[in-house]
Amino acid sequence: MPASHEDVYDITIIGGGPTGLFTAFYAGLREMKVKIIDALPELGGQLSALYPEKYIYDVAGFPKVKAQDLVDQLIEQANYFNPTICLNEMVETLIRTNDDMIKMTTNKGSHLSKTVILTSGNGAFSPRKLKLDNIEQYEGKNLHYFIQDMEHFRQKNVLIFGGGDSAVDWSLMLEPIANKVTLVHRRDKFRAHEHSVKQLFESTVDVKTPFVPASFTGDEDGIQEFVLQHSKNEAHKEFIHVDEVIVNYGFISSLGPMLHWDLEIDKNSIVVNSKMETNIPGVYAAGDICMYDGKVKLIATGFGEAPIAVNHAKSFIDPKAKVQPLHSTSIFS
Amino acid sequence: MGKYAMVDKDTCIACGACADTAPDIFEYDDEGLSQVLLDDNQGIAEISDDLEDDLLDAEEGCPTESIKVSDQPFKTAVETY
Repeated sequence: MPASHEDVYDITIIGGGPTGLFTAFYAGLREMKVKIIDALPELGGQLSALYPEKYIYDVAGFPKVKAQDLVDQLIEQANYFNPTICLNEMVETLIRTNDDMIKMTTNKGSHLSKTVILTSGNGAFSPRKLKLDNIEQYEGKNLHYFIQDMEHFRQKNVLIFGGGDSAVDWSLMLEPIANKVTLVHRRDKFRAHEHSVKQLFESTVDVKTPFVPASFTGDEDGIQEFVLQHSKNEAHKEFIHVDEVIVNYGFISSLGPMLHWDLEIDKNSIVVNSKMETNIPGVYAAGDICMYDGKVKLIATGFGEAPIAVNHAKSFIDPKAKVQPLHSTSIFS
Repeated sequence: MGKYAMVDKDTCIACGACADTAPDIFEYDDEGLSQVLLDDNQGIAEISDDLEDDLLDAEEGCPTESIKVSDQPFKTAVETY
């Protein structure tokens, strides 16, 4: 949803991982106007980006739960109050304005909020990029780090780089749609599920291993050809004509711009007090990003810190509002 | 040539990606952070050639770039400064 510059939110949550999603639900429960901003195209943070298929055993109420299933439940819970969700947006600056607002600018625009809760874990995730000179000019053309619409690849010659689940799964998904799919990985062994790898070798996907990207040629419209080089034999090269290139090299997280917002930082975390307040009035932090004496980094503790931050943010906006809320059992009845 | 590895525990987020990718090289410490199991994360044990691909996979797959890989043992590298 495109953000309106005029809309002022009660609370803006930076980071759509588990703590951010529960924060959004909880702020809705306290009748606040809520927005979530996340750098990735999907909610879920580390759980969705790094280990969607892993089981988590230490979330209260779940004997065990798959990371992505937990995210799906959290999204459903957060959506109960219809928060505004801004994806693919990286917050670059955050300042407190003279009229007691917090203004954020992102790669897409600006946002105004009365309070902010930072739930960005280990910082914003971004895809690990191809390391070739001048390749970045083709992002947004025919070089893709994310896939939004599979139809875009219909009848195309698609080249995919990577050796994990994403690369293998996308190869299999695009195989029936594309004209030809070529998958390139640095080594013969794939890190993906055994079953998917078996399917891969039974499919028409042209698997090139062990090869790495060496160079490319392109014009102003896009990349036209990739030169692949054998991992163990530099002289062995292959030339692949491409219409579209997809890179699935995983994600890197970094605090990045947040380090320049004049927040008190200790060892890559943001220092908060017992109200989850940072040193900037109206700006709170919860989850793995925050630090206080005795802090433990777990999803379980993030879920506890979220209501502390929200209830204090509520009373910050409206000093007459109670910090201690009603129980949810009585709110919904 | 053999490689040496260490995990920067100040930046490791305990996501477990490296131990999944290279279980013969990485393990979890008492805090759940990753470390090199061969030498208690000192960076002095040579990692055998047959594990080198696993090591590179883990290095590339680390979301915080916390895995440090060198052609030299890390202790020696530090002492030469």
